[in-house]
Amino acid sequence: MFSLLLVAALAQGPAAPPEPSASPQAPPVLPVPDAGVADAVVPPLPVASLPPATHELFRRIQGRVAQVRIIERRSGTKSSIGSAFFVSAKGHALTNYHVVSDLVLHPEDYTAELDRGDATVPVRLLAVDVASDLAVIQMDAPVSDYFKLEEHEPPQGTRLFAMGNPRDLGTTIVEGTYNGLVRDALYERVHFSGAINPGMSGGPTLSGEGGVVGVNVATMGNQVGFLVPVVRARTLLDRALEQSAPPDPAALMTSVKDQLMANQQRITDRLMATDLPKQSLGEYRVPGRWSPFLKCWGDTPHDPETPYTVTSYQCSSEEDIFLSSSHRTGVVTYLHQHVESQKLGAMRFSALYSTLFSQDPDAVAATREDVTNFRCKSEFVDVKGLTVRAAICLRAYRRFPGLYDLVLRAATLNATTHGVDTSLTLGGFSAENARKLARRYLEGLSWTK
Amino acid sequence: MDEVIFLEVLEGDAVHSRHRLDKLPVTVGRGYANDIILDDPKVSAEHLRLERREDGAVVLHDVGSVNGTFSVEPWAALKELVITPDTRVAVGDTVLRFRPRNFVVEETVVNEAPASARERLFERPRAFALAMQALVATSFISERVTQFQKTDWGDLLLASVVPVGLALLWAGGWSLASRIARRSFHFRVHATIGALLLLGFAVAPPLFALFSFSFSLGAWLGSVRTLAMLGLVGWGLYWHLRYVTRWSAKRVVRGLVIASVGVLVLTNVTELLGNEPFSEALEFPRSLLPPVLRVAPAHSMDSFFEDTKPLEKKVDALTKER
Repeated sequence: MFSLLLVAALAQGPAAPPEPSASPQAPPVLPVPDAGVADAVVPPLPVASLPPATHELFRRIQGRVAQVRIIERRSGTKSSIGSAFFVSAKGHALTNYHVVSDLVLHPEDYTAELDRGDATVPVRLLAVDVASDLAVIQMDAPVSDYFKLEEHEPPQGTRLFAMGNPRDLGTTIVEGTYNGLVRDALYERVHFSGAINPGMSGGPTLSGEGGVVGVNVATMGNQVGFLVPVVRARTLLDRALEQSAPPDPAALMTSVKDQLMANQQRITDRLMATDLPKQSLGEYRVPGRWSPFLKCWGDTPHDPETPYTVTSYQCSSEEDIFLSSSHRTGVVTYLHQHVESQKLGAMRFSALYSTLFSQDPDAVAATREDVTNFRCKSEFVDVKGLTVRAAICLRAYRRFPGLYDLVLRAATLNATTHGVDTSLTLGGFSAENARKLARRYLEGLSWTK
Repeated sequence: MDEVIFLEVLEGDAVHSRHRLDKLPVTVGRGYANDIILDDPKVSAEHLRLERREDGAVVLHDVGSVNGTFSVEPWAALKELVITPDTRVAVGDTVLRFRPRNFVVEETVVNEAPASARERLFERPRAFALAMQALVATSFISERVTQFQKTDWGDLLLASVVPVGLALLWAGGWSLASRIARRSFHFRVHATIGALLLLGFAVAPPLFALFSFSFSLGAWLGSVRTLAMLGLVGWGLYWHLRYVTRWSAKRVVRGLVIASVGVLVLTNVTELLGNEPFSEALEFPRSLLPPVLRVAPAHSMDSFFEDTKPLEKKVDALTKER
């Protein structure tokens, strides 16, 4: 329900005539200063007391943003697009990992190039940060004009300008507001109130002075956009600049794996460091909101015709890491269903309870290229006096050995006409950590009588 | 050759018509003046004649036929041939065979089909009534117990009657087959067998769920269940076929075994070849029954998480498969 990731939109024929969105119809507010400033190394921008007119900003920096095209080798044409922006004179540019993920996962099938308006230039991938969804690419030619990364986060309410190439319609600038870091997020994001559209992924979001404060990454629609904080971009850029040579595909994969490993360790440590709070559900106590990054919801459908009630309580990180368009990872989500009936006898209740237990939560998105099939183990387990029927299922990542998806399913078996059915999904953890978390989770189940 | 011989007109390996040759000579041909008339357009009006020679041997003469007369083994045109037992001769498209009266026939096939010896359980009139009643009762109970929504009596009634209708329809089909092949409908017997089959289908799932739950049995119960269902279907088909065909019991069993193995192989061919299709399904037993029915002990947390450790190796092995 969250993070509609800006999967670089498949190239689509221009539906409307491509028109520059900054049309010079409105009379300029400020007189146009020296026009030759674009040739300077870090061009001094006019220090405006008020945010400059959008068209002014746009005209100055248009050349610093380029369209990234992922080229499928066999067809020789673009399979997806995104945006990128230059950050060094040596041709380094920043974009999103999800724009260039095909280069990481299928280096033999894809290449990338930058469309700079007048020409397309091949680029190579230098470094990626999957958890933050960032990548550094470089083209051979030096660039005369590039962006400066801001040192600090701007104050909340600052007017910002997101740039990019939405839906292949040409370079566009979108105005919005800085709303600070997303509260309690698992993966650091800036909340930007402005329209970010597919294809703008990887473009910069600028302050009025033209410094980069974030990288466009995702949207939830309705002017709710998300940016990667500039700190992350700076860290990754520094790492890329330190490299003597561009990494080979295997080294990139290893770096992705290491990042995923570190990320799951970070989440595990964070969860294991806190006590699992108890949520009461009927006569049971179940795992509650384990950590602030989990968002919890509950509901009981009321239907007078139904001879039973099912109360559900679910928590989810509501965020994930994009590995490829078909594969997500870094997910923690769980659901409890408390079932109770005064009207059903033991056998009919069992039928209802079995039906609920047969329904599994949606698995983390993945295809057969990404993961194996699940293997499960099911037993009756005594959880401190409470008998449950529990099953643990595991599947392995094919590309990143050592990472697994785990699903824990359990149903209490202490009464004939009520019970709690619970499921925990952990996406992209080491087997050891997943088991540790699942155990802590299962221990959170108890009966109050 | 014996005094009396038989001339057989063959059709493939089977005998189409048989003529007793009491007196010789005998003429054979398409014309109505012959003793034996062959309706083969390639046979001449006067084709051949059989005569007894002075030494007693029977001799065949071609009497100037258009297309000739041929001995079959070896194939050769002939004008004259001394007939020995089992001689075959081709005229036109027709093959003739000669047999003496002392030809020894094969032993009588013992009739295994039920004559009216021991009456089988499901042949009794009461078995039919009982099977139908049991089917209605079982369907009603299983529908009632597995239905946890607000009770819908219409659905419940329908669910109990439909299986009986199905059994009768099924029996109708088999009865027609019986009527055609054995000239007797056996409707009641077929209906009883059909009802027992459906009864098996209705009873097996809860039974297996009970086993699976009570003893915490693993996935292998699924294969046992498949085999049991196949056995049930095999049993039903066996008896239906016994009332439809005159095949011996062994032959029916052989046929059914081959068919079941075929079905098993065809439905599991992907697993047998080792390419498991990609699936996000979690495969573990899902039946939850009232706690009193649990017989298997509950494991401690430690042992449960210890038991799940091998999963890691199993899925790691899967990554190497491809």
